[in-house]
Amino acid sequence: MSNKLQEVVSKQKKQQMKPSEGSADDILQLVSFVVGEEEYAIPILTIQEIIKPIDHTRVPRTPAHVLGVFNLRGSVIPLIDLRIKFGVPVTNKSEDMRYIVLKDGNDTAGFVIDRLNQAMRIRKKNIDPAPEAVVGDKSLIDGVGKQDDKIITILRVSKLLERDF
Amino acid sequence: MDEFQEILHDFLVEAFELIEQLDQDLVELENRPEDLELLNRIFRVAHTVKGSSSFLNFDVLTELTHHMEDVLNKARKGELKMTPEVMDVVLPSIDMMKGILGQIRDTGTDQNGIKIHEIVQRLDVVSKGEEAGSTPSKAKATEKTANAKSSGSEKAPAGGETKKVYVNALADEPEVDYSKLSEDEVEAEIERMIKKKAEADKIRRQQVQSESGIEKGKSADDVDFNMSATEDESPSSSSKPEPVAPKAPVTTSHSSASEEKTVPTKAIEKNADKGEDAQKSGNSTTEQTIRVDVKRLDHLMNLIGELVLGKNRLMKINDDVEERYEGEEFLEELNQVVSMISLVTTDLQIAVMKTRMLPIGKVFNKFPRMIRDLSRELNKKIELEIEGEETELDKSIVEEIGDPLVHIVRNSCDHGIETPDVRAKKGKPDGGKIILKAYNEGNHIVVQITDDGKGLNPEFLKQNSVEKGVITQKEADNMSEREAYGLIFRPGFSTAAKVTNVSGRGVGMDVVKTNIEKLNGIIDIDSEIDAYTTIKLKIPLTLAIIQALLVGVQEEYYAIPLASVLETVRITSDEIYTVENRQVLRLRDDVLSLVHLADIFDVKRVFESHDHTYVVVLGLAESKIGVIVDSLVGQEEIVIKNLGEYLKGMDGIAGATIRGDGGVTLIVDVAAIMHMAKGIKSQAVVSESASSKTKSSPSDYTVMIVDDSKTDRKIMRSALKPLDINVIEASDGVDALTKLKSGEYDVDGMLVDIEMPRMDGYTLATEIRKYNKYKNLPLIAVTSRNSKSDRMRGVEAGMNEYITKPYSAEYIANVVRRNIGLE
Repeated sequence: MSNKLQEVVSKQKKQQMKPSEGSADDILQLVSFVVGEEEYAIPILTIQEIIKPIDHTRVPRTPAHVLGVFNLRGSVIPLIDLRIKFGVPVTNKSEDMRYIVLKDGNDTAGFVIDRLNQAMRIRKKNIDPAPEAVVGDKSLIDGVGKQDDKIITILRVSKLLERDF
Repeated sequence: MDEFQEILHDFLVEAFELIEQLDQDLVELENRPEDLELLNRIFRVAHTVKGSSSFLNFDVLTELTHHMEDVLNKARKGELKMTPEVMDVVLPSIDMMKGILGQIRDTGTDQNGIKIHEIVQRLDVVSKGEEAGSTPSKAKATEKTANAKSSGSEKAPAGGETKKVYVNALADEPEVDYSKLSEDEVEAEIERMIKKKAEADKIRRQQVQSESGIEKGKSADDVDFNMSATEDESPSSSSKPEPVAPKAPVTTSHSSASEEKTVPTKAIEKNADKGEDAQKSGNSTTEQTIRVDVKRLDHLMNLIGELVLGKNRLMKINDDVEERYEGEEFLEELNQVVSMISLVTTDLQIAVMKTRMLPIGKVFNKFPRMIRDLSRELNKKIELEIEGEETELDKSIVEEIGDPLVHIVRNSCDHGIETPDVRAKKGKPDGGKIILKAYNEGNHIVVQITDDGKGLNPEFLKQNSVEKGVITQKEADNMSEREAYGLIFRPGFSTAAKVTNVSGRGVGMDVVKTNIEKLNGIIDIDSEIDAYTTIKLKIPLTLAIIQALLVGVQEEYYAIPLASVLETVRITSDEIYTVENRQVLRLRDDVLSLVHLADIFDVKRVFESHDHTYVVVLGLAESKIGVIVDSLVGQEEIVIKNLGEYLKGMDGIAGATIRGDGGVTLIVDVAAIMHMAKGIKSQAVVSESASSKTKSSPSDYTVMIVDDSKTDRKIMRSALKPLDINVIEASDGVDALTKLKSGEYDVDGMLVDIEMPRMDGYTLATEIRKYNKYKNLPLIAVTSRNSKSDRMRGVEAGMNEYITKPYSAEYIANVVRRNIGLE
């Protein structure tokens, strides 16, 4: 019994040590989400908030992935559908659909995703630069993170918030 | 150091304000050179600037103002007449003063760059002009010594101050004619005055000290320095410094108690004098004001914006609640609270808006000077009349409106007003007149610029622009007078035969147009050849919270700034003509080009437009356009929010606002859609008129039969057979509505049963009438319900006819024929 307890305590200690042992700079905190079949991640600090879908107003003369604008507690914020932007077929509204509101400096926008996945920590050394042969706009990808058995595409928020038309 | 910065800042603010007033006064002075009150006022400005600048050790500025003061003082005492020639020296010197002040503001010093020697010499020449007649040599000598001293670097302020003390602190002293004194006497006089100046300096320093709390030691040091300067000078003067010298240390070494006492009283007296002066001259400097950072006001304005949104929302909720709980007692209380809040919010908004208001006089002030300079440059006689300078405008607008006005006034001077000999030939007084006038008109302020010059000649304008390739001959032929006047705002247009440095490059009026458009303003031109030209600028009072007209296009809503809406009209589609692929509407005497808002904003057309449609007539700057919309929702106060970096600068969208229901409504950028409208041809309505034209044979008409009984549908179908029209069937209300909305069929009329599952006939009729497009679709109820109340219900739901079963085949065919308009 006491053995087990000790084990748990030491495990806890280890976990608590984790961030400090490789100084905070070495670890990236990310939030991952799913668009279509793919899993993407963005740095947690760039997320202003995550909300359930609300009504939006179409803005004319914009490309298809710009759905329009919505009211976030008195601010008017653009809404961009990542599924259309990434060329993924748009499925019908599901319960899991969310708007992720990202902020970079003064730029703010909401992004439609299929569902949220998890928050995670990845060591910087486990992040590789984006592969050379990525299709489409390479600079949208900040890097590729390896965790356990899967790889996750980390998106560059400043690029996402950049006007692309 | 911080205290110094603070004083410096105050000095600059004060100086710039004074100068603004100065410009106007000086021009006025030229008209009324004998006006002592005016002269005194001008003199005081130069004097104040000099005093403060010497205190702050701005030697160059001090020297310049000192010499200006010389000239002005002579004028004040009647020794010098303010002729235009004198003004030609004084005005540039004031410009230079502005330049130096600007430099001080930017760099904190007046030591680099601006050369004042030339202007100082000219000022000297002017100020000596009169004296030179009497005893030239001596006077010159005096001036020279004074100059030599003042240019002796460190002593410059001292030299300058001398005169100031003479005119101010020693104002009560008898006038002395220096030209008659010997050089020694002059020196002695200077010494005496330097001493007096030291006192005055001290008084001032103590005033400042008492305000800002500088330690005494410092001020004493300063005095010491000044006095030592005096002592330095004394040996250089030949004979009589002694009577002064023993006195000087007394004033400096220990600031004795008696001195301490006398000084404050003096200061108070001085202040009192000042106050009286101000009151006498009717100056408004005694107003009670606080300086507030504009950023704080902007923040306050933003908060008010939020509050207005909240109020709108509250009012909407109140309406909903009222509907739902009609007659309940708490409603009245709620009503009271809501209306109170709405009232207070509106008042608050107005109050905050007022704090941001500035009198337009701020802008007008620079024109007397400008007109004066221009009239001399152009050899014309031009008089400026200003009215309504107290009219108030939002600060941001005051800042924007300056440039357009400058261009318009320059144009009036250069192209409008004729030279005196031409005017004489036309039998006009040889002096031209420009009237600048501002007044309020509803939610707008109108700035009107009128000149009594040669007026605008529409034919000449047209011909000129055709030659310059601004418009085609054909366009020119179709132009009304008013449109021709508008040509002066086209880029590249200029009637000036040659480019002068006043105007004629064809840029100025284009600037006017863009700036006024930016403010959502309207430009109106009126003119008569050889009589007058009037340009009216109509500008909304504020920019952040505006009144807007909400319009509906299909299922979407847009807000149009009410400032740009001239009127709304309801028209039928046959009032629309097509000229060269453009739709136009004849509205009274004007021909208005039309554009559908749905075409501009690519709104998906779920429904085709119907017989009646609404046209919102928009006016901006000098042009007009009619925008077709499907419905008018109403007028609402909206707060403009921007769309953020990502969507900034979208064509045709000026921003967004949040409505009472929390939804976002886009605000139309009127200037942009006017521009966009040029490239859009409204195909939709064209195709509609084409389709209505093709209805030549009965088979082009379609009637829908809605009945849940197959037998009944069959009977009706056979009854309609003789008409030879298309018949489609629906089995109930829901089915009918779906078929109608799909747009697959172009339905011209419907036969509707009342008793049906899922959706009955009444509900169906009500639903159909909700869509604009089907407001006039013939709906014929076919039912065995026969009572009066049933018929009433049918009418209420929007049925056009009521046929009771049983019916004859001929009867029903006739009713249908009549309703769908089949001949």
